[in-house]
Amino acid sequence: MTRKTFIKEFKELFREGRLRIAFFLVVLLLGVSVWISAQQYQKINKQHEIAKTAERTIWDNQGKKNPHSAAHYGTYAFKPKYPLSLVDQGVDKYTGTSIFLEAHKRNEAQYSAAADQTGLSRFGDLTPDFILLFIIPLLIILLGYNSFTKEREMGTITLLRSQEITFWKWAMGKWAALFLPILILIASLFLIAGIILSYLKDFGVFQWDSLFWIFLVYVGYYIVFMNLVLFVSSKVKKSGVSLVLSISIWILTCLAIPKVASNVAENKYPYPTRQEFAVNVLKDKKQGLDGHNPWSKEAQLLQKNVLKKHGVDSLHQLPFNFDAYRMQKGEEHEAEIYFKHYNYLKEQFSKQSGVYKGLASFSPYLPTRFMSMAISHTDYATHWDFADAAEKYRIATQKFLNDNFAENSKYGNWKYQADADFWKQLPAFEYTPPELRTVLSKNASNLFILGGWVIGSFILFLFSTKKIK
Amino acid sequence: MFLYNFKYELKLLLRSQWIQLLSIVLLLLFGFSAYSGKGKVAKREADIAAAHNEVKESDQVMLQLLDSIEKGIKVNARPWTTPNKPMAVGNYYPRVAAMTPQPLAFVATGQADLFTHYIKPTVSGDDFALNFTEMTSPVQLLFGNFDLAFVVVYLLPLLIIAFSYNVLSSEKESGSLRLLASQPIDIRKWVLQKLVLRFFWLSILVLISLLLVFAFLNINWSSIITILPGLFTLILSYMLFWFALSFLVNLFVDSSAKNAISLLGLWVLFVLLVPSILNQLGTTLYPMPSRTLMINQMRSLKADATKKQDKILDNFLRDHPEYAINDSTQTRGFYHNYMASQKLVKEELQPVIKSYETQLRKQQYWLARLKWISPAVTVQESLNKMAGTSTEDYQQFRKQVIAFAETWRGFLTPFLYNNQKFSSKDYPKIPAFNYAPKEHNNTWVTISMGVCSVLLFVLGLLITRKQMITSIT
Repeated sequence: MTRKTFIKEFKELFREGRLRIAFFLVVLLLGVSVWISAQQYQKINKQHEIAKTAERTIWDNQGKKNPHSAAHYGTYAFKPKYPLSLVDQGVDKYTGTSIFLEAHKRNEAQYSAAADQTGLSRFGDLTPDFILLFIIPLLIILLGYNSFTKEREMGTITLLRSQEITFWKWAMGKWAALFLPILILIASLFLIAGIILSYLKDFGVFQWDSLFWIFLVYVGYYIVFMNLVLFVSSKVKKSGVSLVLSISIWILTCLAIPKVASNVAENKYPYPTRQEFAVNVLKDKKQGLDGHNPWSKEAQLLQKNVLKKHGVDSLHQLPFNFDAYRMQKGEEHEAEIYFKHYNYLKEQFSKQSGVYKGLASFSPYLPTRFMSMAISHTDYATHWDFADAAEKYRIATQKFLNDNFAENSKYGNWKYQADADFWKQLPAFEYTPPELRTVLSKNASNLFILGGWVIGSFILFLFSTKKIK
Repeated sequence: MFLYNFKYELKLLLRSQWIQLLSIVLLLLFGFSAYSGKGKVAKREADIAAAHNEVKESDQVMLQLLDSIEKGIKVNARPWTTPNKPMAVGNYYPRVAAMTPQPLAFVATGQADLFTHYIKPTVSGDDFALNFTEMTSPVQLLFGNFDLAFVVVYLLPLLIIAFSYNVLSSEKESGSLRLLASQPIDIRKWVLQKLVLRFFWLSILVLISLLLVFAFLNINWSSIITILPGLFTLILSYMLFWFALSFLVNLFVDSSAKNAISLLGLWVLFVLLVPSILNQLGTTLYPMPSRTLMINQMRSLKADATKKQDKILDNFLRDHPEYAINDSTQTRGFYHNYMASQKLVKEELQPVIKSYETQLRKQQYWLARLKWISPAVTVQESLNKMAGTSTEDYQQFRKQVIAFAETWRGFLTPFLYNNQKFSSKDYPKIPAFNYAPKEHNNTWVTISMGVCSVLLFVLGLLITRKQMITSIT
């Protein structure tokens, strides 16, 4: 019975011209969006390469200079784009792409794409994730809203009741007929994306298993939608009502709840404003050791301790330049302050994530979105990871410069200049995003919630109706 | 007949509990969205007030320090931060340049979550490096806000669709259309009357629930009373547009389900697809020059400037003879060099910075012409403008802040180059920032959309023949 229903439904779907057009439109939109994303990806990564080399050349060719001047002069860390951003652009548009690394200060990533665009950009972009997350569920609704109601409207339900069939066998047939075209559609899309990614040059490390996981996540997401749409269709009498109800579910899931979640998250766990954040950091900085200020209480204390430790009674007798040493200590202290304040932001964000996860039990869109972004390395967590790596590099750079200053000059010698070749010894900044396994284990709860949705919606759909009525 | 229809329709809507349901839904949606919008505006105001307070406090400290210094008392502050040095005033005692919210700011979040509302420009910072973006979780930016504008632009059309998609087809499906056809009224006019009446009732519900929500939230009426008619007519003209579409679909398409699909298809087209395609086209046609490459350019310019610092200062002083010191005992320090080369870098980078502004303006110009393809885009933009949270408003703020940064620098650099100390007598002369909001006029948008909707109604009446509808049955 299941097989026969499947064959009948599948044939019917493709007989209807309107559905063929809808299918064609979705494929067309997907094609265009993948093409645009691939173009953008290549352009941005080319610029990234140019900028990286140019910045390094500027750093290497500073000439003779005091290491601390070089520290103030600073350098930049640029954030690359990752291959799977071809599938999901995530929050990339809203995060900065370059971090200025200088002495005494941890800077935030600057220049997000969204800040340079018109207000229209807030409606969304024509990217594959937009089609995958919003449009394909709509396609599912269009294909499935009248799956059961049409039997009632055409009167074929009476015929069916005279047959000896159970509801779930019948329903599975309908389910399979809806699932197959969707599966073929996205399987071919992911296959094409995979092939494009492995053939494009300079595309970084692309892994098929990451792509496969994203594929699984979306299949789960679509199964939830199919179950919900078919459930509604099996419960109401008229096709029109079924359609309007399914669309309402879609709006709640994909548009309303995420927005409500973001309102609630911001309201409950707000970020400080940029200026507030700066003021808070400044307050803490004033209290501690300032590498540039030898007269402060903290500097005096440090001086006393160092003198005692080395068993000498004047700074000139120390085997290193105390100015540079104090500079490094100050740097370490400031790094701690930044660590504390950025950690606060991170905490706020993880609390906000809690809100999103809480509301994910009302919207399968949320876990899907977070999983897809995470695996694509375009989520907020990856951005944090990048920013942390840049900060680590900044601290190491400061130590590298201050150590050179301390070891090669004497106390009070601010005129000291490092060799022109010295700058080349600084190792370049390298960043690799977290491995797939780490990403998955970090997002286990999202996977769990999505799995819950899949199972729950199946139960709802298959077992809420016992008899065909 | 119209009066009869009017009574019948009202009874029908009340009996089917549509009116009751819609009122509750509207109150809930408007209530929640306006409430959270109001919360955001309150936070924005509190943040700005706190920033002003902080400046007031630090000014007190500054005046005390100045007083002590002028009296010759030794002060306990890091020597390069004492406020008798003009550059210390410029860097450690900056002013607040704040963008105070407009009365309707709670209606549309617009770009308010993306950009910052106050900034403290310092004398030694780079104007172009001033970070105007706010510290917001990008996830929040990605998902957007559940604000009143979202309810109006996205959800209201759906309510209209649900409220009107089967006006004619339900009669057909229940068989009462034959009865109607025997009445001495043109079916098209009958559908028109029915939809106009539904539009009338929905408008009343929308207006009342908006007013109730505003009253409940303690909105300051006197400040918005002049803008309110503009807001209401805009919303009504947008609603009228969707009713007009529904009228056409009711006339041309047959079954209820197909009506619903057609209308929802139009909704997806206008609200989701057209905006994202327009946005993509805009950024493809007028791509922003790369910010990463801009950093490169800025860095090499700065590297050059540092190497030639002395020469730059000489040139600068030649251009500004008023600053040349005749007294040979006075020297030129770090800031003399720094400010002069900073100025040069700024001037040389000007064309690069300009290119971003021009490109953004081109995108906006292009969009201004094409936004008419989708009324959703038009209305969202107009609501943002009314709320003072559109991209243009933040551009305006940016421009004013940069001008103020120049004023701030211009106020203090004469002290620097004249080697004059900043004193408590100069304090009252410190410039303050005042935000002048951008004026927008949305009347044109409302009128055009209203006219378009009426034209759609007329089009429906003209194209369909009298017999067409009844003949289908």
